[in-house]
Amino acid sequence: MPISIVVPQLGESVAEGTVAKWLKAEGERVRKEEPLVEIQTDKINVEIPSPAEGVLSKILVAEGTTVLVGTEIATLAGAEEPAMAAAPSAPAAAQAPAAAPAPSQKAAPPAKPAPGVSAQPAPQPPPVAPPPPQQGGNGHGDGLALGEARNLSPAVRKIMREQNVSAHEVSSIRGSGIAGRVTRDDLLDYLKNRTSAPREPYAPSAAPSAPKAPAAPLPAFMTARTEAAATGPREEVLPFSKVRKLIAENMLRSKHSAAHTHCFDECDMSAIVALKKEWGPKLEAQGVKLTYMPFFIKASVLALKEFPWVNGEVKGDALVVKKYYNIGLAVGRDEKGLIVPNLKDCDRKNLAQIAGEVNDLAARARADRLRPDDIQGGTFSITNAGVFGAINSSPVINYPEVAILGVHKIVERPVIRDGQIVARPMMNTSIGFDHRIIDGELAVKFQRRICELLERPEMLWFYA
Amino acid sequence: MESLHVAHLGPTPYRDGLALQEGLVRARAAGETGDWLLYPDHPPVLTVGRGATADNVLADADTLRRLGVERFEVARGGDVTWHGPGQLVGYLVCDLDGRGRDLHRFLRGIEEALIQALAVWGIGAERSSGRTGVWVEGEKIASIGIAVRKWVSYHGFALNVAPDLRFFDLINPCGLRGIHMTSLAERLSGNAPSLAEAREVVAGACAKALNHPGWTWESAATAWNFAASEAKPKSEDAA
Repeated sequence: MPISIVVPQLGESVAEGTVAKWLKAEGERVRKEEPLVEIQTDKINVEIPSPAEGVLSKILVAEGTTVLVGTEIATLAGAEEPAMAAAPSAPAAAQAPAAAPAPSQKAAPPAKPAPGVSAQPAPQPPPVAPPPPQQGGNGHGDGLALGEARNLSPAVRKIMREQNVSAHEVSSIRGSGIAGRVTRDDLLDYLKNRTSAPREPYAPSAAPSAPKAPAAPLPAFMTARTEAAATGPREEVLPFSKVRKLIAENMLRSKHSAAHTHCFDECDMSAIVALKKEWGPKLEAQGVKLTYMPFFIKASVLALKEFPWVNGEVKGDALVVKKYYNIGLAVGRDEKGLIVPNLKDCDRKNLAQIAGEVNDLAARARADRLRPDDIQGGTFSITNAGVFGAINSSPVINYPEVAILGVHKIVERPVIRDGQIVARPMMNTSIGFDHRIIDGELAVKFQRRICELLERPEMLWFYA
Repeated sequence: MESLHVAHLGPTPYRDGLALQEGLVRARAAGETGDWLLYPDHPPVLTVGRGATADNVLADADTLRRLGVERFEVARGGDVTWHGPGQLVGYLVCDLDGRGRDLHRFLRGIEEALIQALAVWGIGAERSSGRTGVWVEGEKIASIGIAVRKWVSYHGFALNVAPDLRFFDLINPCGLRGIHMTSLAERLSGNAPSLAEAREVVAGACAKALNHPGWTWESAATAWNFAASEAKPKSEDAA
């Protein structure tokens, strides 16, 4: 089974590392523990040893590239397995997880890989049934997963044995150690408050465990709220994850650097709703789920071609206008945090291709299977706050891009057509733009063009 | 954690310093010895780290040869720097596994040690966000570059006590254009402490900042013995 090499956890404040030097070439044989690659962060250069014996089958990240902690940078073919000389190239491999539903991906989120585990098995196609829990090496025999066992110090494990605390129970404790590790003090604090019965496991989603009362259970969020108020602490400190820190830095950089301004428009979505209704099932038959996003992407690309400055980037005292159209999609991932991968060369792809790639990109973003290339090189971004129910928003520019389009929930609203009040599926749009580059006039015209293209798709004949 | 072992190596060719560190890293990773702070006295050398871009060495090969400055490409973080007489170079061979493998915390610890040491001589030094090292009023007084193998650190810091700062004109130190390097001598109008005094003060500050209960002088031979217990001298490519 190929083993994927990832950038390991390098410290609490370390969110990313730069591949400084590959010490082995593709196709070269490596022994276990032999240095494989040097990763640099700040002024530190770290040798990453090979997790196993095998052949370095594929280098995914070139020297000099900076990637997030947890990013897959290479794959290692096991010793018993021949190096895949004719291995499928990266794009082919990238398509593999496309159809995989995100929740069944076993991949650890990049925010919290087990410290010290510099490699994790490459994800297999989702199994039909969940794999049986691994037996842990804690001598407790209660199925502590290997990764978790390694996370607990001997001191913690000793107390667990003495106090008869199960691994399951420990997993409910919020750790204050590196990467959320449960420390000795955390465990002792927990035991102080522990009553005879083990506490309910901490469940972020609360839903599966909440409805206990057989008759008319309360909605999950109400139950969870009440329990927390009665027994839990009144405040909780949640240290920023690495990804959260990065998001915070990026947002601040954007807000500090760009002269953020917003303007708003609205769009009659009747035509697109009809198109989607007609073509959705046809694409579905080919395994592609059609959402509204491909239409937004297509309309944006055409408008960007007409107003090239909007597809630009500020570099010093100059505007770099891009003649390629890599459209970023803001993907929300709950606590894992926002990420904006981009779809390459959207001007050269038809709607069906874009639809397929949107599915793939979003699925991989949620499953933490993005490649560095997916996040770099964007030229303009779109954020859909409508999926969460918003009818308007003021999006933050994905700096150093100069504009971002906000799209929202489509809502039936009364509008006037030919002097009559009629119901139409309406959608507000917003655009966040860098007023250093883009004046209000340009922003308004650009946004209006997108709305027109959505309202009257036949215009595509004259634009495309 | 046990005391920090500190050794003054005396005159040390750069290549030998590297071999000693690599040996000690192996011994430290194997748990044969504790954490070390080594003070080599290097002849003038330029060392180019992994973060380097070629054009930060400004002098050509001929000039370097004429000045007797050797050049080494090394597997530490950071760009190019100069080491030589008048500078206090400290190698830190420390176990990071027991420190939670937190690289940045380790870097911040080294900076803290040097800042505390400089305060002893009345110099108010500080960190500069995003620019690892120690700075005095915008001028750099100490550089830091670390390598990690098997979760043991090597390489370390270089504190300018009283070097000939003109050597830094050969390079863009640490890849930073237009920065000025300063020294204790420059800051204290020539009344710099001796290197021997600096070694003591910095050793104490390192032990404290890196959470050792104390520090002890060891002989260079002791360090070499640990390093040589399974000697496999590996010559680093000199470019």
